[in-house]
Amino acid sequence: MPEDALFAEVLDPGNRADPYPIYARLRRTPVARQRDGAYVVSTHAAIRSLLFDPRLSSEDLPPSRRPRTGNPLKDWLLNPIRNRVANAHRPLIFRDPPEHDTLRGFVMSEFTIARVNGLHGRVAALVDGLIEACRGRDTVCLVDDLSYPLPVAVICDLLGVPEQDEPQFHAWATRLATALEPDARRDEEARRETVATFDAIADYMRALIRRKRRQPGDDMLSGLARRDRPGMGEVDLIATAVLLLVAGHETTVNLITNGMLTLLRHPDELGRLRADPERAPQVIEELLRYEPPVHFRTRKALGDIAVAGTTIPKGAPIVLLFAAGNRDPERFPEPDRFDPDRTDIQHFGFGGGLHYCVGAPLARIEAEIALVALCRRLRDPRLLADPPPYRPGASLRGPENLGIRIGGIL
Amino acid sequence: MRVVVDLNRCQGYAQCCYAAPAHFELRGHEILFYDPAPPEAARGRIERAQQACPVRAISVEGIDLAEEDAP
Repeated sequence: MPEDALFAEVLDPGNRADPYPIYARLRRTPVARQRDGAYVVSTHAAIRSLLFDPRLSSEDLPPSRRPRTGNPLKDWLLNPIRNRVANAHRPLIFRDPPEHDTLRGFVMSEFTIARVNGLHGRVAALVDGLIEACRGRDTVCLVDDLSYPLPVAVICDLLGVPEQDEPQFHAWATRLATALEPDARRDEEARRETVATFDAIADYMRALIRRKRRQPGDDMLSGLARRDRPGMGEVDLIATAVLLLVAGHETTVNLITNGMLTLLRHPDELGRLRADPERAPQVIEELLRYEPPVHFRTRKALGDIAVAGTTIPKGAPIVLLFAAGNRDPERFPEPDRFDPDRTDIQHFGFGGGLHYCVGAPLARIEAEIALVALCRRLRDPRLLADPPPYRPGASLRGPENLGIRIGGIL
Repeated sequence: MRVVVDLNRCQGYAQCCYAAPAHFELRGHEILFYDPAPPEAARGRIERAQQACPVRAISVEGIDLAEEDAP
């Protein structure tokens, strides 16, 4: 396999279960140009230097294009305007400073320590209920039974989205998460579908925000919707709300599922966590290194950038392959070994730099409570299939489901 | 117990503030205030803060998570 086609191999669903050997080959060239002109960055040092480089832009999405309707008023007037608005008001993961910083500041001002840490009891009760619901069965389907419903309930709670509406936007959230994958962006049809999905979820959010303004609650969306936020207009507010909702759906799912998969593959570590829940923080940090929920993010070069012996030309797409940096032997001794006792776990599990995951503290709380409870309460858990079936995404990578045979609930 | 934060390394990610809010506080965007001598009873929270730090800037007496190549 030629080096300039390796990233195509990463995207190939056939390699989803174990992309790490491809990452190892990519790391031989820390910044590797691919046939389509993208530069894949795969060593820890190169990723870290680029994460803090202001010449990298996150505004790398192709412009949104609404599909033709046949209605000339829409096709020639309304939709071009809506496209321009959508392009100018993307959610903050696709924005650069200074607008990014303004929007992120508003989110952080609502993502307060008290609000996040106050979810502890709610998460524990949800986990308890979801595990209890498996009583009497001899198998658990982890994604359906816990990894998916838990973060969804928590993000709905935090944002103030009525949980009974969740089935309605379940498919929307999945669709928008798929839109983050690079191959989805190249496919014209997929891009149109993404735009249509965003319109549908935006309409839902607009109506919800109107209700929150009439009757504010103590939730995040009510706080974000306050009118005293210069720099965040209506369209930005909706984009932010959609982003938080989708991010809450699609990432923690992978952290919990990858976590349990890894522990089941390392029964000694599962036993140690069961015996000593205080190990959870170091287990989770090592999981974020070893099997991160998000494998890469893309950027664009705003100027010529020399890094690790290669010059990335202005305008080129850049792939920051976090999961490869996490397994870099130059940085971590025995990187392919899952070892929660390693003292140096400076991972890219939540990215880094100015786009560092806003939800990191919440993800840690959910993963810790869920994994400790699963280890302590599932009797004799064993994997039904290894590797499990994977979802198609190469960036938001995780099992479609994880069948676990159990001898009961403790 | 003794806690030291390498403020040259700290980038203001605020993960410690979520993990141990009684002992770490970020004022503004980048000024970190912290308790250099937290009580032994807080050890669990302090260790969580140390583990959660994306740049490994927190040292706790007896636990060394330092790394070789500081940014």
